[in-house]
Amino acid sequence: MQGDDRLDLELHRRVSMGDGQAFEGLYRRYAPAAYGLALRVTGQDSLAQEVVHDAFLALWRAPEAYDPGRGPFRSFFLSLVHHRAVDTVRREERLRKRAERASNLERGPGEDVAEEVVEDAYLSTRRKEVREALQTLPPEQRTVIELAYFGGYTQAMIAEELGIPVGTVKTRTLAAMRKLRRALYRED
Amino acid sequence: MAEDHDRIEELLAGYVLLGLSGEDAVEADRLLSEHVPSCPRCRDAMAGFQAVAGDLALAVSPAQPPDLVLPRIRRGVAESPVRRRRASLVAVAAGVAAIVGLAGLTVQLGDRVSRTEQQRGRLLAAMEALQQPGTSPVSLESQGQTATGLVEVSGPGLQRMYVIGRDVPMPSPGRVYQLWLGTNGTFVRVEDGGFVPEDGLVLLELTVDTGRYDEILVTEERIGDAPANPSHLGHTWHAFLAQPQAA
Ligand SMILES: [Zn+2]
Repeated sequence: MQGDDRLDLELHRRVSMGDGQAFEGLYRRYAPAAYGLALRVTGQDSLAQEVVHDAFLALWRAPEAYDPGRGPFRSFFLSLVHHRAVDTVRREERLRKRAERASNLERGPGEDVAEEVVEDAYLSTRRKEVREALQTLPPEQRTVIELAYFGGYTQAMIAEELGIPVGTVKTRTLAAMRKLRRALYRED
Repeated sequence: MAEDHDRIEELLAGYVLLGLSGEDAVEADRLLSEHVPSCPRCRDAMAGFQAVAGDLALAVSPAQPPDLVLPRIRRGVAESPVRRRRASLVAVAAGVAAIVGLAGLTVQLGDRVSRTEQQRGRLLAAMEALQQPGTSPVSLESQGQTATGLVEVSGPGLQRMYVIGRDVPMPSPGRVYQLWLGTNGTFVRVEDGGFVPEDGLVLLELTVDTGRYDEILVTEERIGDAPANPSHLGHTWHAFLAQPQAA
């Protein structure tokens, strides 16, 4: 386990006991990553703020939802943010045209605005590794991952969008996830 | 087990990306409650995909949230119910290798060393409770799937209740399990009664006058929500409690 994971664990343990300072410690560490993700998925400041607000309050109210036996806190918390962001975007889907979101998706990961964020070194190192791993995917595999993860599309929607069978979306997704796993956790 | 693992892994990969809908989502839910918890290969695949899904978030550049977000969160924190020590209600670590058998109840714990003395203490307390006269283990019936069970243990004069389970599936992403107690068909949410299984194991201890309640319910709820009434999404378990004789 890396030192930063251990610090997260310690902060999480204290949050579980109701320690507000530890909670703000986790906010400082993860708010920029959470907000960047929420902004990307929802495409709107106000929605992204709501996602970040809800995710951190969920962490405060139910810290037991994170089980340290199941991987780093980072994965748990960013998945929670992702889940809320996708929920939000699907709710909004009814209110706004898909096309608007599609144009928002054309920016590749890493090309977003607001680069002026000071972030813990370990997060920026990991960030680099994740982007490199994504870049090694064949474009057709990367596309299904990006539509699903950053676009909040279901596999059925992706098939429709790309004009390919759902079965193809599934095989591309699995192939991509296996490659990403091997690339990101090869030493484990 | 005669399951097609490539097909299962396709579903699991779609599941962690929140990409499933319709029959695929139903099938994944079935696999996650009936097959994955007891299949090392699937558990490994699931854990790996979940880790990837968490890290994919980092592909996006970070952005500093506007200054008004933190004060809003602080207000939310201040308005949240006063927090108790949560340590009294967490899933027990797969601890001491032990089999408790009583009235048809079998709890088998894994072989990892217990994380803390406290968890070991809770396990011993539950075993002790099981041996008291009048203690009545009640099996919670799982609604929709039968593969996994939870058992409630309480007894007259005990003022404590235990909820024990193994092979309990993880709740859906973004959700935790929540414990409810009912009287005459009306349920109250157990404050701090949210939990997730650890390696499929659950051992909860709560201090409660069990004589006041005649039903117990476990539901899935969204993380951080504090609903007034149980939702009936995902996995649920239910049982009527044995009415303890007046001591
Ligand atoms: Zn399997």
